[in-house]
Amino acid sequence: MRVLIIDPDEARAALVAEGLAGVRPLTVHRAAALQDVEAELSAFAPDVVVVACDSSDRDTLESLREATDANPRPVVMFVDRSTPGLAEAAIEAGVAAYVVGGLSPGRVRSILEVAMSRFQLMQKLRADLDKAKADLASRKTVERAKGLLMKERSLDEEAAYRLLRKLAMDSGRPLGAIAADLLSFAEVLKGKAK
Amino acid sequence: MSGDRPIDLRLGFIPLVDCAPLAAAKEIGLFAAEGLNVTLSREASWANVRDKVQAGLLDGAHMLGPMTLAASLGVGGERVPMIAPLALNLNGSAITVSTSLAREMRVLDPEAMAARPRAARALARAIQARRERGDRPLTFATVFPFSMHNYELRWWMAEAGLDPDRDVRLTITPPPRMSARLKSGEIDGFCVGAPWNAVAVSEGSGEILAHASELWRAGPDKVLGVTADWAARNPDVLRALLRALLRAQAWADAPENRDALVELLARAEYVDTPAEVIRLSFDGASDAAQTPGDHVVFNRYAAGFPWLSHAGWFLAHMLRWGQIDPSVDIPAAARGVYRPDLYRAAANEIGAPVPLVDEKLEGAHAAPWTMDEACAPIPMPADTFFDGRVFDLAQARRYGASFDIGRLGGA
Repeated sequence: MRVLIIDPDEARAALVAEGLAGVRPLTVHRAAALQDVEAELSAFAPDVVVVACDSSDRDTLESLREATDANPRPVVMFVDRSTPGLAEAAIEAGVAAYVVGGLSPGRVRSILEVAMSRFQLMQKLRADLDKAKADLASRKTVERAKGLLMKERSLDEEAAYRLLRKLAMDSGRPLGAIAADLLSFAEVLKGKAK
Repeated sequence: MSGDRPIDLRLGFIPLVDCAPLAAAKEIGLFAAEGLNVTLSREASWANVRDKVQAGLLDGAHMLGPMTLAASLGVGGERVPMIAPLALNLNGSAITVSTSLAREMRVLDPEAMAARPRAARALARAIQARRERGDRPLTFATVFPFSMHNYELRWWMAEAGLDPDRDVRLTITPPPRMSARLKSGEIDGFCVGAPWNAVAVSEGSGEILAHASELWRAGPDKVLGVTADWAARNPDVLRALLRALLRAQAWADAPENRDALVELLARAEYVDTPAEVIRLSFDGASDAAQTPGDHVVFNRYAAGFPWLSHAGWFLAHMLRWGQIDPSVDIPAAARGVYRPDLYRAAANEIGAPVPLVDEKLEGAHAAPWTMDEACAPIPMPADTFFDGRVFDLAQARRYGASFDIGRLGGA
């Protein structure tokens, strides 16, 4: 089976391709945009096109079902509707699939399911990364606030940390937010911020 | 719904000038005033808009009028009944060709290129010349198979004896990419909504040959689309949404708000295009002269009213080009999707004058007129077609079959 993946997100496309590599005899092509492969499209002749919903190529792909001369292999079907909720789940995961020619829906479903799971995995990886970055930023902020307290209040590191934690607990807000407030107040008092 | 907790709504849009009613309602607080907490979601394609609305990931969206009809008939995708209770605008699209093609057309047929709108006869001569030279066929892009833009381009071409399915190659390109593809030579012309024609003009890649308002002086374009199921489950929310959008359309049309609207649309989260280019598309700027006319209308002339005769005109062109089966009952299909009754209920509540008829003769008014079949007289514009025809909903099938070029009967 020949699968074309169109996804402006290269890392995610690679993840989908890797996932599909486990599925039966398969040739996978990847492209960031349809126009990158338009010239070779008839030579590669995909059976299935998997496309990211945030790609702006979906309308062009759908129009291929109308084309006659330019593309003799019309795109005939959006995801299989015989499985209730599959189309909705795919759109929610951010992926659509188009079947080219007369491939059976059952074979497409497995492709789509792999693509969906990889899209979800990518989303989770990205979310984890964002959280890690936020944690790191918050840790740095706390370190700076601690340094400020140590300097201004002549506290040792342990006492400065305890004070920050108490402020956080008293106000019911995260430690990072309290530290950020403290730093911005300090800037105002120093006349840096206006 | 005041007093209650705000109702969360998600509405989709495509970066185009006619998303203005949604953007304005959000930014000037008209949604909030109706107790609606609306999140606007900028989408990458019309297919995404359709699928997300159908899957319930969006409650409603800025949509191409014909999209709601196609989805309801199950043409080009799954059959999901949709409704269009509000038109978002009249006019706004245009046909643009590359500056080199325009130059060639001017040499071959200066007379047709001096007319307004530029006559496709000049294009026919350019196509003939290319054929004789053995050049590749010209490629034109529209934005979606079920769009005013597709029917507008085909209508204009076929009037000059061109068959858009045979004499040119038609393709689909997302609006924000039109100008770049024109510049690179991948396409030779396109039909798209504002501001993307003005973008091509300002980038020096294209020349506008015909504004929608020159082909049909007051023609339909986008609508608010929701599924029939969602509308049935949320009648009060829908009415609140319509009230907010009607007020936003009045705001967006008022000359004193034009500067604010242009600035708002220019922002990155909306159309993400320089304000001066957005302004050009309101002024009808083509290459050198400004073309007079109403280029994008949001509120005047009861612009928000979802005329059954507009839906019927779309369906007649869908029939003409073989997109729908000849057995489709056009007036019934129009009535099932376009919902003037819902418009009327919402407009009455805010005291806006409403037409009391559901359809009108399209193309029959050569001069501005007054609609008296309304709860207060409504000033209406001239609405003639460039080909001099008239569209009567009751005769929709005959109208669709009356063209020499089409996929029905003759050709």
